[in-house]
Amino acid sequence: MLIQNLGPLASSLFSLLAIVSLLLAFVMLGSRWLKNYLFAFAAESWAIAALSAAVGFYGGYPELYLIAILTLLFRGLLLPYLIWRIIRRLSVDREIHVILQPSTSLVVGAFFVMFALAISYRVAAAFHLELTVAVLALTVLLSMKMIGFLMLAVRHEAISQILGLLVLENGIFLGSQILVPGMPLLIEMVILFDLLIVVACFGALVGYLLTHVGSTSSLDLRRLVG
Amino acid sequence: MRDILLQIAQVLTVLILAPLLQGIILQFEERVQRAQGPGIFQPYRDLWKLFHKQVAVPETATWLFWVTPIVAFTCVLTVPILIPVLTDFPLPLSDMGDILGGGLILTLASFMIILAGLDTSSAYSGIGSSRAVMVAILAEPTLILVFVGITLLAKAMLPFVVNHLLVADWAAYMSPAHLFLVAAFFILLLVETDRMPIHSSTHIEVYMIEEGRILEYSGPLLALLKWASAMKQFILYTIFCNVLILPWGLSIRGTALGALGAAIGLLIKFTLVACVVVFVETAQSRLRFYRYQEPLAASFLLAVLAIVGTQLS
Repeated sequence: MLIQNLGPLASSLFSLLAIVSLLLAFVMLGSRWLKNYLFAFAAESWAIAALSAAVGFYGGYPELYLIAILTLLFRGLLLPYLIWRIIRRLSVDREIHVILQPSTSLVVGAFFVMFALAISYRVAAAFHLELTVAVLALTVLLSMKMIGFLMLAVRHEAISQILGLLVLENGIFLGSQILVPGMPLLIEMVILFDLLIVVACFGALVGYLLTHVGSTSSLDLRRLVG
Repeated sequence: MRDILLQIAQVLTVLILAPLLQGIILQFEERVQRAQGPGIFQPYRDLWKLFHKQVAVPETATWLFWVTPIVAFTCVLTVPILIPVLTDFPLPLSDMGDILGGGLILTLASFMIILAGLDTSSAYSGIGSSRAVMVAILAEPTLILVFVGITLLAKAMLPFVVNHLLVADWAAYMSPAHLFLVAAFFILLLVETDRMPIHSSTHIEVYMIEEGRILEYSGPLLALLKWASAMKQFILYTIFCNVLILPWGLSIRGTALGALGAAIGLLIKFTLVACVVVFVETAQSRLRFYRYQEPLAASFLLAVLAIVGTQLS
């Protein structure tokens, strides 16, 4: 496996990129404006694309360069552009009724990171991966997943929820890049197209919500219709 | 003998240069806002003026009102003994307390000032005190977490050990744990020196916190408190520079020339940090008052990430 014979430079580069992605997930968690979520998400995708390229370079997986380019194009440019178009169509540019204040959600996120660290130690011990990078990748993976869940749970604008979903997915992708590089190219491409379809469906859904409910906040979806 | 002289020199450095740092920051802020500014020596002139005025004491004040400036001043005079101001080796009394001890003494000073603010039963200083407590409740746990992070990074509670580690080991300096600690402490530095984004640039106004607590003081007592707060700022800058971000340029052998060079180096480092502080304060838009938790929550988060980072390296 790649991570068991990494040089110090490579492992510090991987850690740096993973930590930058985690920090950007926290930027998304702590800000109020939908535009800021979007920029943070795009930057996070670029960091992950750089990580793919770095793993490809140090591990000798040429197909990861292709994946890096695809990640950059899809997650870093196309998805943010599509979401930006949806945001432009809406009249909201921030969460108005917050369930959890940004500062509180930052603190909750900090506890999630500690929880993720505790779990990763166990998981890494079970799989005999006592390396720093492996534990770090697991921690970042788990904490980005939990941050994504938190965003899905406490935000109720449609845009924040789709971005929460995308953060969750970014976390899994990041972890898999470090832990099991060289996943078949086809699977990666399928995931990317999946995401594209998710965002496209969301665009259609937002249009539907706007015409029928008049708002995209899940707080206004109170009536059960069959 | 020389070590004792050096220790006295450390305290004197803080005592004498603290108003200058205050003046530099205020002058830079004025220049950034395209105003002329009063010059970097204005705090000295203010102190001189205040020491020559008479004291007016509120009728409701008790002995606490008199004791507080002296206790606060003594507290901030004690801390420079414990931290590396000029030399990078411990001086005779430096092992009186570790990082937590220094934090405790600084907190004692602000605790006394808060009590004195409540003591006069004036509306404004009461508000200032309660606001200061409100911020301190959130700032203290974060400060403790930062100290825990430093301790885990250097495996020691003494600031000198941290300084040596960061000078010697470039990998430790660039480690994510250390960078997170720097970021977390920088936010705390802004909070503790009364430069949160909820303030406007003038200090005596509706949202005042630190200035509100000492509103009832006048004359030499006010001068002591202002000097103490300038020294507290200087001490926090010293910890930030010499222990965390710029650990170089301290006197290694402890000669007179080295100590002088270290003092000059200190001023250069502080000017750099002051530029960053002024930039942040100018560029950061002013928030609503009740968003004061957000910078502190960010700082808490960074401290937690730093601790996670120390566990991973």
